[in-house]
Amino acid sequence: MVTCTGCALLCDDIEAIVENNRIKETRNACRRGAARMKGCVNRLVPSIDQQPTDIESSIRKTVDIIKNARSIMLFGWNNSTCEAQAKGIRLAKKLNAVIDDTSSFCQGLLIERILQKKLRTCSLDDIRNKADVLVYWGSDAQDSQPRHLSRFSYFPRGESRQRGYEEDRKAIAIDVRESNTAKICKGHFYRIPLKGDREFILALIEALSGKVPVYDTKKMLELAGILKKAEFGAIFVGIGLTYSIKEDFDILIALAEKLPNFNIMPMVGHYNMRGFNEALFKETGFVNRVKFEKEAIHDDKYSIMESLIEKNIDAIMIVGSDPLASLPRPILKDLASIPVVCIDPCISMTSKIATVTIPCAVTGVESGGTAIRMDGKLIRLSKIITSGYMPDEEIMDRLLEAIS
Amino acid sequence: MVTVMELYQLLPRTNCKKCGESTCMAFAVALLGRKKNVAACTPLLEVNFKPQKEKLESLLLPSAGAEETGLIVHPELCTGCGNCVVACPVDVANDPHGAGMGCAPTNDKVIFKVVDGKVIASNIKECRRFGKSRVLCYACIDPCPTGAIEFV
Amino acid sequence: MSMDIGKFLKSPEYEIKITTYRDIFQAEAMERDRFGEEYKMFSAAISISKIDMQKMGLKTKDRVRISNSHGSIIVEAKEAKKDEPGGLAFMVNSPWSNSLVSGDTQGKGIPEFKNINAKISLSKEEITTLETLIDTFTRKSITV
Ligand code: SF4
Ligand code: SF4
Ligand code: SF4
Ligand code: SF4
Repeated sequence: MVTCTGCALLCDDIEAIVENNRIKETRNACRRGAARMKGCVNRLVPSIDQQPTDIESSIRKTVDIIKNARSIMLFGWNNSTCEAQAKGIRLAKKLNAVIDDTSSFCQGLLIERILQKKLRTCSLDDIRNKADVLVYWGSDAQDSQPRHLSRFSYFPRGESRQRGYEEDRKAIAIDVRESNTAKICKGHFYRIPLKGDREFILALIEALSGKVPVYDTKKMLELAGILKKAEFGAIFVGIGLTYSIKEDFDILIALAEKLPNFNIMPMVGHYNMRGFNEALFKETGFVNRVKFEKEAIHDDKYSIMESLIEKNIDAIMIVGSDPLASLPRPILKDLASIPVVCIDPCISMTSKIATVTIPCAVTGVESGGTAIRMDGKLIRLSKIITSGYMPDEEIMDRLLEAIS
Repeated sequence: MVTVMELYQLLPRTNCKKCGESTCMAFAVALLGRKKNVAACTPLLEVNFKPQKEKLESLLLPSAGAEETGLIVHPELCTGCGNCVVACPVDVANDPHGAGMGCAPTNDKVIFKVVDGKVIASNIKECRRFGKSRVLCYACIDPCPTGAIEFV
Repeated sequence: MSMDIGKFLKSPEYEIKITTYRDIFQAEAMERDRFGEEYKMFSAAISISKIDMQKMGLKTKDRVRISNSHGSIIVEAKEAKKDEPGGLAFMVNSPWSNSLVSGDTQGKGIPEFKNINAKISLSKEEITTLETLIDTFTRKSITV
């Protein structure tokens, strides 16, 4: 059994059939996982100024960049092992760097509150064994964490849920779109307008408090009724909800207080986003957007977005992430105008504009380590085949060595 | 998948009972469950019912690519989510501590398995739609997000 | 009819509201090859409700230009598979959809990835490639 790093479910029940040091077939992994494990067609090659070179030269050039930068950002981290992340944080400390990860414009707000224990949470195994009411909110798990419903939430028979999903569990979807997940939650799909989550939450809080909500009264009372009856409920908070209420995120805490039998689960995409958030939180008390000086300073201006807009970084090292593909176009020119080091197994948009590229091994396939599942459980990653590529942890070691 | 209604609408709908069933609807149900043959409805043999009869026969014919029992997985639609693996009552019964609990199947007696990110079906003779005490089970069709499973 | 006149003039432009979502088939394609045809096919597309398609006189497979002050792209239009009430169109999150997202986060660091306002019109141009998207912000174009 090996572990898939296709998403933060980190399915550790995968069989990989290896032939000639290649994964020939996968079993139990979903479509995305299977593709991930079999690997990309375009591996990255070491380069400087877009000219191919050898890896040692790439590392030397990187050392130059990180040493000479006045204010460098170390960014990415969500596709790295816990071990590489820990070393990345150490590197940031030594360099007095800014460190941020993709959670900065993803699920950071949510994970922060979970780690601060402002929101009740539980393990996925608890959900499998006990949950009777499941709410997918702004989350299309079927497409983002494809095995979520089958491994943990809706379909499996758990300790106190032995009679199968039709009888023992109820799945609800709240979304702006009838997603594949909403389709499965037949009869319990609540369509809301874009950016309508806040109003929906307010109305739901009213309904749960015994008041008559103004917003779609009938459906709201019906939903409140289901939620109140839950013995063990879970709200799976997707990126759709997080983005929609980002200006007033604590409204979610207010809702959770009205639902004492519910737990909040962050629906994380990248396989080790939570790992990075936990590691930085342990070190600094913050999940992202930190600048190391004498002490760790947290500020929104240290988010990758604001750092680029305000031009307060003069170089960036990106590990296992493709911000050129995932950030809004208007700030990409700012990203492309500073020295960029790109560490990744595959060619990406970012690697195409990078000053230096360093190819690394595919974690969970060519190198092992550990990672943290969306619910906080530590999962072991496997090395399935051998390759000449350096794991990112080793690249961090090399950089740490070179600067001390 | 053909529905009872589709079959019913092609029958003479006279409830003449010549097929041995009390109504045409009952006969349609029997056809779908493959308990009866189209030929049992003798009024259908009349010339003016020829197109209906042919349509019925083609609907009930297992189409190309189908397993002998009529279960088809469309691999291009399947996401490999495994919902069917875990929801199929046969898989639960035959592998309660593996597939039934949402884990990887632990034996070869299950009907559904995900290989290379797509489901393949085997042991289809175990499916509840077939055999002596067949029932019209939808437990793999309903949980499928993309309509990748079909019975013909 | 106004539509026939439209044929000879510039294609009519409509306001459109777009949100983004994730798609497992696109994610699979990305794992394989970020620069591949498959990834482009799933990403450079917009799915629009039947009602809105009719209103704008669009058919599945028509190419459309979608633009706003942040960027401009050519993608393929397709009718939404599921029954949608209209008023909102959908794109799979990708560098194409991100081309239309504002860089202004009001100092908070989280862009409005899922809340895009743009204009849409029929187009005969080729679908925007990832390479063109990169070209628009490489070092070269910056020094110009
Ligand atoms: S659900 Fe996620 S971790 Fe599990 S097999 Fe699919 S991609 Fe991999
Ligand atoms: S023999 Fe045909 S027409 Fe008569 S009841 Fe049966 S199905 Fe109906
Ligand atoms: S019809 Fe029922 S028994 Fe047959 S394969 Fe589907 S779920 Fe299993
Ligand atoms: S439920 Fe549908 S999509 Fe999921 S594995 Fe089964 S056939 Fe494939």
